[in-house]
Amino acid sequence: MKSLKWTWAAAAAVALTVSGCGNNNNNEPAASSSDASGASQSASATASGSASASAALPEPAKIRIFTENNTAWPPKPDWGVWKWVKEETNIDVEQVLATGPESLALAVSSGDMPDVLSVFPNDVQKFGSQGAFEDLSKHLDQMPNVKAFLDSHPDVMSRVVSPNGEIYSIINDGAGEGSQMVWFYRDDIFKKNNLEVPKTWDELYTVAKKLKEIYPDSYPFLFRHGLSTLDTFGPSFDIYPEFYQDPADPTKMKFGLEDPNAKTMVEWLNKFVKEKLIPPDWLTMDYKAWTQFMSTNKAFVTVQFIGQIEIMNSQLTDGHLQFMAPPIGAGDKPYLPKGGQEGYGLAVASTSKNMDAAFRYLDYIFSEKGKDIQSWGKEGETYTVVDGKRKFNDNYKEANDLRVISGIQTAATYGWFDFNAWLSLVKPEEQYAYVEAPKYRFPVAYSRPNLTADEAAALSTSNDQLWKFWTGEVTKFINGDRPLTEWDAFIKELGKHDLEKVRTTYQTALDRQLANTK
Amino acid sequence: MKQSVFYRIKRNKVYLLLLLPTLLYYLLFHYVPMFGIVVSFMDYNLFKGVWHSPWVGLKHYRMFLSNPDAWLIVRNTLLLGLYKFIFAFPAPIALAVLFYEMRWKKFRRFVQSVSYLPYFLSSVVLSSVMIMLLSPSTGWINKAIQSLGYEPINFLQRPEWFRTIYIASDIWQMTGYGTIIFLAALAAIDPQLYEAARMDGANRWKQTVHVTIPGIIPAIVIMFIMSISGIINIPFDKAFLIGNAGNMDTADIITTYVYRIGILGGGMSYATAINLSLGLVTMLLVYLTNAASRKVGETSLW
Repeated sequence: MKSLKWTWAAAAAVALTVSGCGNNNNNEPAASSSDASGASQSASATASGSASASAALPEPAKIRIFTENNTAWPPKPDWGVWKWVKEETNIDVEQVLATGPESLALAVSSGDMPDVLSVFPNDVQKFGSQGAFEDLSKHLDQMPNVKAFLDSHPDVMSRVVSPNGEIYSIINDGAGEGSQMVWFYRDDIFKKNNLEVPKTWDELYTVAKKLKEIYPDSYPFLFRHGLSTLDTFGPSFDIYPEFYQDPADPTKMKFGLEDPNAKTMVEWLNKFVKEKLIPPDWLTMDYKAWTQFMSTNKAFVTVQFIGQIEIMNSQLTDGHLQFMAPPIGAGDKPYLPKGGQEGYGLAVASTSKNMDAAFRYLDYIFSEKGKDIQSWGKEGETYTVVDGKRKFNDNYKEANDLRVISGIQTAATYGWFDFNAWLSLVKPEEQYAYVEAPKYRFPVAYSRPNLTADEAAALSTSNDQLWKFWTGEVTKFINGDRPLTEWDAFIKELGKHDLEKVRTTYQTALDRQLANTK
Repeated sequence: MKQSVFYRIKRNKVYLLLLLPTLLYYLLFHYVPMFGIVVSFMDYNLFKGVWHSPWVGLKHYRMFLSNPDAWLIVRNTLLLGLYKFIFAFPAPIALAVLFYEMRWKKFRRFVQSVSYLPYFLSSVVLSSVMIMLLSPSTGWINKAIQSLGYEPINFLQRPEWFRTIYIASDIWQMTGYGTIIFLAALAAIDPQLYEAARMDGANRWKQTVHVTIPGIIPAIVIMFIMSISGIINIPFDKAFLIGNAGNMDTADIITTYVYRIGILGGGMSYATAINLSLGLVTMLLVYLTNAASRKVGETSLW
């Protein structure tokens, strides 16, 4: 019995060694074949680059990267993105996965932070000023490509510079197009019933009424992000719900709910709920329920991430979804939120012992070459060039396969993304949405200026108080639990929940930001 | 006669060794973390840690007391705990007595096992089951309500339903498992007492009132004192999972608030200050209940 166990162990060890060698062997020909094909094709720049790189690769190094753990594209250590990093920079990457919103706080307080961390701007505000992240502005000479990237992207620059001039993270760019929220509708159902695509909320209401008559057990208008969907509806009423830079006077912070248009928006939603054109559990709808409604002819107009159009269309056996221009609720222009920006950025741990390697990594992914490789992979390995155009291999069937198979366009694997790589896998008939959506962008993004550590600390309870109050009350208005005649009273009550304190603080921050960028 | 401590340790070393793992567990996971409460007196910096963060005295306690939301959150927590105590505490006692009275042993064992099962569901699973069941558009419960000709009820978006849902699901989940301790107490009752009661002409109901219930009073008192601490210490997960903007008026309790401010907002000191004050109140409550029960009866925790 015992000897049997040992035999198994030995066999496993042999298998592991062999497969390990196999991988190495695979790498070699792939690299050399790209060199060979480089002579013949347009990718000569990349090839000569890798040839010179392999001639003079820097010292081997190893870094740990803290990043998301997404069940839709489970992270794998043998993803192509990490292999290419190794080939280009001689850095081995080990992923450390976040398991929840508290993971980063735990990583910071553990005293053993991974070297590079995927972070959201509010994380940076929380931990950057506490000294957890290295101030990258001091190391820009070491990262010429990062410097060039920031110089050519002033919008990213303004979002990453802290009030005192430090740069605690660099926000990714280029892939934001894939995560914007858009409107879409069932064009087959509309055509079948001779219905016009609504251009205003008024028309949306009329069409929804008609659809409800034809399909009595349906809820024609559906959304699944609860109250956060107001961030998407808002722009079609010329507002965002909370604080943002006023497009009419960009030197002022504006609280959207105070605008009369906010009341119009809430009135519409209330009407939709009352007449059962929106499901009564709109606040608690989850992705599964949403899919069920959409795929069983129980909802026809919706608001969702742009990529969902293609995913749903591939699931719908009978029926078709199409991008819809946002209906105008107030004002005269149909607006979507200003999308295209990304949320994730990358920070370097101030305690890192591999800081040079971390900088080398950042500099690589923000370089032109890094952008190209981390978005497209390598010729011969992930794509071939056909008639001067790149074509991904056949095992990438839809855009999301890039993430699943190779880790392309997942957090922390790129700095500056070439969205054409993603688009090339979106079916031609589904590309319409990506072309149309940017035409409807609201003039300002839904973001707030960076606060100092003291300001942020002073606001933490006030922000919570204000948020809790307005979300609760607006829900009541929408559900009809509080009559809309009390809207003005509600606006006055906001004052009791620290509205002015929050406004003054953000105004100060905005003034400072404007002064700094002048 | 008096033995030295050293001698006693030496003599009982095997038992002490057996105790060691438990002792270590409590030290490491219950006493050492208590040191963390010092952060409620400092402006804690997550990165610098306890040793280098500046002391600020009672700043965070004052901040909580001056927060207009504080009263609401404390009230929500106390009410939820109190209702839970009133409705959920007697449930396992009643069920245990019913089980005890049940004469058909096979059936009794089956029902008992079934009643334990919900205890083993995690709150995440339980909450999503509830969200599914209670949905006004697709949930079975609302389908049933509609088939009777009534309007569907938006259970999870209304503050007035939150406590009912919370406590009802708690009873469903915990009661069966909670009977175990009372069944053990019941098994210890001397059968001769029943015989004597029957001789005196007591029927089944009288036997229950005069023999069964008094027989498990000590267990009830101990459980009572222990569950007093539950009035304030309400677990975080379920309230967090079924809470939303619609029922926030009743669903926002201390633990969910502490999570939002402390973990998500990074205000560790503030969150710790709140938690510590409540810990102290809980301790006081348990102490008072214990003292009262010692005065009234013979049973008490210590």
